[in-house]
Amino acid sequence: MQRPRLAIALALGLSVPALLAGCSRKQPEQAADTASPDAAASTAANPASPGYPTRVFFGDTHLHTAMSMDAGLFGNRLGVEEAYRFARGEEVTASSGTKAKLSRPLDFLVVADHSDNMGFAPDLIGGKPDLLTDPTGKKWYDMIQAGEGNAAAMDLIDKFSRGILPEKLMYAPGTPPYAAAWKLTVDAAEKYNEPGKFTAFIGYEWTSQVPPGNNLHRVVIYRDGGDKAGQVEPFTTYPPAGSTTPEDLWKVLQAYEAKTGGQVLAIPHNGNLSNGWMFPWDVNPASKQPLTREYAETRMRWEPLYEVTQIKGDGEAHPFLSKTDEFADFETWDKGNLNLSELKKKEMLQGEYARTALQTGLQLEQKLGVNPYKFGQVGSTDSHTSLTTADDDNFWGKNTPSEPSATRASHPFAKTKLATIMGWEQTASGYAAVWATENTRAALWDAMKRKETYATTGPRMTVRFFGGWDFVEADAQAADVAAAGYGKGVPMGGDLKRAAADKVPTFLVAAMKDPAGGNLDRIQIVKGWVDPQGARQEKVYDVVWSGDRKPGTDGKLPAVGNTVDVANATYTNSIGAAQLAAVWRDPGFDPSLRAVYYVRVLEIPTPRWTAHDAKRFNVKMPKEVRMVTQERAYTSPIWYTPSG
Amino acid sequence: MMDQAKPRWAVVSRVLREPLLHFLLIGLALFTYYGRAAPEGGDERRIVVSQAHVDELGRRFQATWNRPATAKELAGLVDSYVSDEILYREGRTLGLDRDDQVIKRRVRQKVEVLAEEDGERRTPTDAELTAYLVAHPEKFAPPALVSFEQLYFDSTKAGVESRVRAAGVRLAAGDQPASLGEPTMLPYRVDRADLDTVEHDFGSDFASTLTTVPRGQWVGPVRSGLGVHLVRVTTSTPSVRPALDDVRQQVQREWEYDRRKRAFAASYERMRARYDVAIEARLAHAQ
Repeated sequence: MQRPRLAIALALGLSVPALLAGCSRKQPEQAADTASPDAAASTAANPASPGYPTRVFFGDTHLHTAMSMDAGLFGNRLGVEEAYRFARGEEVTASSGTKAKLSRPLDFLVVADHSDNMGFAPDLIGGKPDLLTDPTGKKWYDMIQAGEGNAAAMDLIDKFSRGILPEKLMYAPGTPPYAAAWKLTVDAAEKYNEPGKFTAFIGYEWTSQVPPGNNLHRVVIYRDGGDKAGQVEPFTTYPPAGSTTPEDLWKVLQAYEAKTGGQVLAIPHNGNLSNGWMFPWDVNPASKQPLTREYAETRMRWEPLYEVTQIKGDGEAHPFLSKTDEFADFETWDKGNLNLSELKKKEMLQGEYARTALQTGLQLEQKLGVNPYKFGQVGSTDSHTSLTTADDDNFWGKNTPSEPSATRASHPFAKTKLATIMGWEQTASGYAAVWATENTRAALWDAMKRKETYATTGPRMTVRFFGGWDFVEADAQAADVAAAGYGKGVPMGGDLKRAAADKVPTFLVAAMKDPAGGNLDRIQIVKGWVDPQGARQEKVYDVVWSGDRKPGTDGKLPAVGNTVDVANATYTNSIGAAQLAAVWRDPGFDPSLRAVYYVRVLEIPTPRWTAHDAKRFNVKMPKEVRMVTQERAYTSPIWYTPSG
Repeated sequence: MMDQAKPRWAVVSRVLREPLLHFLLIGLALFTYYGRAAPEGGDERRIVVSQAHVDELGRRFQATWNRPATAKELAGLVDSYVSDEILYREGRTLGLDRDDQVIKRRVRQKVEVLAEEDGERRTPTDAELTAYLVAHPEKFAPPALVSFEQLYFDSTKAGVESRVRAAGVRLAAGDQPASLGEPTMLPYRVDRADLDTVEHDFGSDFASTLTTVPRGQWVGPVRSGLGVHLVRVTTSTPSVRPALDDVRQQVQREWEYDRRKRAFAASYERMRARYDVAIEARLAHAQ
């Protein structure tokens, strides 16, 4: 066989077409492959299927549409179909009237509308199914069929005016309008779900807001199609049908699986607005009961993941809890609870942030025998605009009034007599990254269940994280990092089994930049553990970084630098690394102590959405507005548990 | 999240179908008229709670609690209903429903749904679907498939030009290609990936370059958002127009979506034609 011909330009910087025009000889087109397109639809960008996930899929597990009562009130007029179309990369007209389009399609979406009053159907419209089961409604229907529509209408008006029209509309499970809303949600997911191309999950949000307004919200995601998920209506929080206690939600999820044979999970979010209630460490404030082994088991049975970053703030770490971490104060929302009806107190914070909760989980595991906070991590938007956006240069805000405008940053986002959150404080974040064998409901859901996921604040960077006892530096430079990772260890979300004597856990980490995003600053491993006195401990290790920076005497790696031109909302990838990989050995390992490890990847600084707004609308931002951000990813952890 | 205090209302679900719709439309119009015109102290001041109504309240209670309501509980439900009615009617009498943005939006949503459902609603014929497919091939054609090999060079490290050049020389000398790239998470060989997938993993510039390079030979440097590559495309299967049966569900979905959008646009145009809109303000001087 002839040697492959070579067409390499000796000078870089030529545009590719110019280069190719100059040096390539036209080859006849290769014969087309004959396999059907269907067979290739889910083909990964990798050769033979090795049995482990070779691709990461990006999506949003938490998007609201006009079906959510508050979204509708805020003026969102885009329904479930538009939400799917937008996520798939199509252009839609936003509720504020301008065209909106993602720079790149997402791979999956969970439309998670609030279950309470979902699709509150207007009296006239939503009442229709009920009208037919009602004797009067049936009579009118028959009159219309017989061509006596006007007489029926007069009768309707008469009864309506006298207040004797059966009051059919109660937007709770078990009522026809509610069933219609749920059916609409399920049907839309079925219609837009295309295995191998785009996954539309069936889901909803259980919006528990314990008075005075402590956020215990959960997004519920079904693995199943409409045949199963359609059998059971969403759980609500309004009594008497609903409840604000998570234990009650878990019972409902259990009942769903028992009834249908399906599978479902829940993802809590916004611990930062729970005023200490999201991750209780002693008494569970929602139930007023001390935490028990049963609580821990049940929570872990249903809640394998936590949504750690979203538009209403980032919940990985808080500077009060992680005082030596110079990156902990990232998009922090710590003024109060969800509706700003109660201000934050410092002692609440330990029940709110993921990093601390992971350590609290280890403490509780020592006490209860089971870790209630053994969660993986994802990001999502929680946008209420039907537009899933997390990119700073294409950010459509939390709700319709926060869609792009000259004033959205400088207007209050939420305001009570206790506190104000300004529009600019919204965070253009985030997405869920899922390592799965293919883009289907089953494969993605299973990956969520086993926590092979990570959160990003928007960029689609690729992050691998494996733990084992035998990784060596060469594994980080291997032609196939994943083969080494799965071959010698466990992926993110996994457990380190007991080591042979004198072994130290080793971790293989690798990250690649978003092809359309900023370079990488560094990869860090965050370790949490419980010391011999039973106290929470944490440490952030810089594992591998760009350039030839050296840690200072304080052990801190110097900052990567900053190329952001705020006035023009631009940056250059002249600093940072395209990819980083390393093997790290825990220098402080004590085999007798529980520990948890996760990866944080930092990008180089890039313009924050506020800088893009200032440029786009030619406005001057108030001086307190942050204009530069440092995007990041947080992986699901790997846990070490001593045996015995 | 719930942004504010729990609102009372939410949003329209699209449940309207068939002739009942038209009847209800007429009803809405007439009711609106009567509602406004009802004389003080007339039917507006009469609230009748019928047995059927109470039965319904009881049925709903039963569905929630799995037991019948007691007489006391039923009385409470009726009280609640009556106070709802009274307060709603009093508010309406005071005109509190007028110029209320929330109510305006709700009514607007209802009308939008009605307008979208205007016109005939039926299952499209195969001929219609085929015509739609032919008119919008880009919506339904599967992406082109491509198989290729690539060598990666990290452009954030110094001297990428010379490293690429050196690899090129060794390629020309017949060295094993797979060993000539730099360590990366990117795969060396990609088999039969669709172009969307290539774009997902390598970026859009790289994906579009693959469609233009000659087959069977190493070419480059090809720049992507990740670095610099030498690439050899082995096979490429162009996108072909699918048969209707291969994409029937998608075509029907798009056809129906399109029909609803056009129905709304037409309805709105008719409505708009009935109005004379005079913008007397000087927009540039808005405060």
